Amino acid sequence: MSKNITIDELTRVEGHGGIEISLKDGKIEDVKFNVFEGPRFFEHAIKSVYYEKIPDITRRICAICTASHSLASIGAIEHAFDVKVTPQTQALRDILIHGEMIESHALHVFMLALPDFLGFPDAIHMASKHLDAVKAALELKKTGNMIHTAMSGRDVHGMNDRVGGFSKIPTEKQLIEIKESLEAVKPTTELAVKLLAGFDLPAYNISENTLMAIDPGEQFGFLGDSILVSDQTVHPETDYEKLTNEKVVRHSYAKHSTYKGKPFMVGSLARVQLSNKKLEGTAASLYKEHKDKLQQRNTISNNLAQAIELVHSVDRARDVIEQLLADGLKQEALTEFEVYASRGINAVEAPRGLLYHDYTFNDDGTIMKSNIITPTAQNAANIEKDARIIAENLSGKPEAELVKALEIMARAYDPCISCSVHLVHL
Amino acid sequence: MSKPKLGIFSLTGCGGDQLQILNMEDQLLDLVSRFDIVDFQEGSSRKVDGDIDIAFVEGTVSTEHDLKKLKEIRARSNVLIALGNCAIEGCIQSMRNGETTLSERLKDVYGVEEGFFDAKLSKPITEYVDVEFSIPGCPVEKEETLRGITSLLHGDSPPYYSYPVCVECKLNEYPCVIVEEGKPCLGPLIRAGCNARCPSLGLDCIGCRGPVEGAENFAAEYQMLLDKGYTKQDIMNRLRVFCGELGDDFLGGGDDE
Repeated sequence: MSKNITIDELTRVEGHGGIEISLKDGKIEDVKFNVFEGPRFFEHAIKSVYYEKIPDITRRICAICTASHSLASIGAIEHAFDVKVTPQTQALRDILIHGEMIESHALHVFMLALPDFLGFPDAIHMASKHLDAVKAALELKKTGNMIHTAMSGRDVHGMNDRVGGFSKIPTEKQLIEIKESLEAVKPTTELAVKLLAGFDLPAYNISENTLMAIDPGEQFGFLGDSILVSDQTVHPETDYEKLTNEKVVRHSYAKHSTYKGKPFMVGSLARVQLSNKKLEGTAASLYKEHKDKLQQRNTISNNLAQAIELVHSVDRARDVIEQLLADGLKQEALTEFEVYASRGINAVEAPRGLLYHDYTFNDDGTIMKSNIITPTAQNAANIEKDARIIAENLSGKPEAELVKALEIMARAYDPCISCSVHLVHL
Repeated sequence: MSKPKLGIFSLTGCGGDQLQILNMEDQLLDLVSRFDIVDFQEGSSRKVDGDIDIAFVEGTVSTEHDLKKLKEIRARSNVLIALGNCAIEGCIQSMRNGETTLSERLKDVYGVEEGFFDAKLSKPITEYVDVEFSIPGCPVEKEETLRGITSLLHGDSPPYYSYPVCVECKLNEYPCVIVEEGKPCLGPLIRAGCNARCPSLGLDCIGCRGPVEGAENFAAEYQMLLDKGYTKQDIMNRLRVFCGELGDDFLGGGDDE
């Protein structure tokens, strides 16, 4: 007898996707993470566009990861034309990416993930019992958006972060306001850790799990130029195609990635597991305290890993701002450079994991071809792996229980399905 | 009196317009308390069937699935509002509609033939259904959207800007980036309402609020940018991002040089 268990559309995730499990005589025949968000063909759209306007288009791949796409795009162009930027630009970019983590993780942890664990359909209904936590979460999220606005010009799809630097340098007053706000919301990040660490991790999804994340250098962070894998290997970002091996599958506008023939996971859990020794201060002590709930083989720990990163980003953004204020802000113009026929590749960590932009330019600085690989496209095959394990472990249980488990698992990846469609080889 | 039923829907796009609603951190709890939210896939697992008083729809129709969903929303909604540039003009996923076919794109990006997926040529929702109002932008402005929602609650229309970005730029006394720096600013063509944010940062307007009604300045802007040394391809690439096929319509065809 054949039977399908289907989640038509996952809710409390960004974009449109579902899960389908086909059973025959009680055995699992097939598992699909259906991505039916329509294709957007960014790599096709940007052909012939002059380099200067590329980030203005590619940052619109995704709203919740707009700064990550922006920085990945700007970095790939700077790599292509060998553009050097100042330490102040690097510091401001670091603040921007922490702002994105704060905004995105606050939204996911409190509004999208926690309602599952506390038993509500959404944060609005959760507010009826946990009003203070929801209000605090909104303040935390707002602080992330303050950073977006000061650095990039607005909350979503900014414009101020450019190739070669920033069009307008944020003011000292803006930085002081952000610093005060970061200090005020720090307890909320610790609350996020406390709340999530208070729930037992389910065991129905435990399985072998390969992790991949950027090597952040000396301190924990989201920018860098080589890639760490949980098999103890390190790879230059320019080898990304060997790490991802994308292929087209019929049920998904997101291509599927594998590493050494197996699915892998990117995102907060990968970053925290692979670079936990680089965490400092409160984030380091909270990591130690809750290490047993951050398990490589349990992808649902990604929620708690995001909370640990919230603590880190709030502290780290404050430190960078203090240093900038101590050094004094300089009114720097964008770096000048020449364009020529060239290729540039850049990886950054988006809130959901590794993101690659790869551009090839004509000699007049217009784009000839490109390839963009987003975190959710990389995670798609791993989500199917987890769905299969859950379906096997919960076979014989009521269907509602299985569906709920599948939703909690998929949501833990914080999938960004809009991003994942349209990814390309030309 | 029962609360008005509100639906927030998205088709194909980046999700940025509904994110702007979630980004109203200071007003969000108060705002949602005024409505019965019957569908908000990104924010809630709660779904209620039946009629909707006010529906916001963002994104383009890019698949058969999108089209079916849009028609269902239209059928059950009293007031439907196109939210953002995708829904109104088609945005980036439609920017090559005047140039390449769907099968060329599928081949280019996925290496597959048409029919492999249920994809359609991306188009704004206004191509398929009537809408009562639209709120422009990529993304929409938070304040404008909030004013739009509160206006509707009180039986009024959302704000409407009938003049270009240049008006706001002049009122703020920003230096003109076209005149002073020769930048390819689209301010003369684009609907105001952003308080000239890009010029305030020393940048040229890229047109994310779409063309102002009438768009009488297209031919003059095009000629001015050609005179400044920008290529036809450069100019068309700029206009196409947020102006749909309007640039092609106005200039009598694309850049098939």
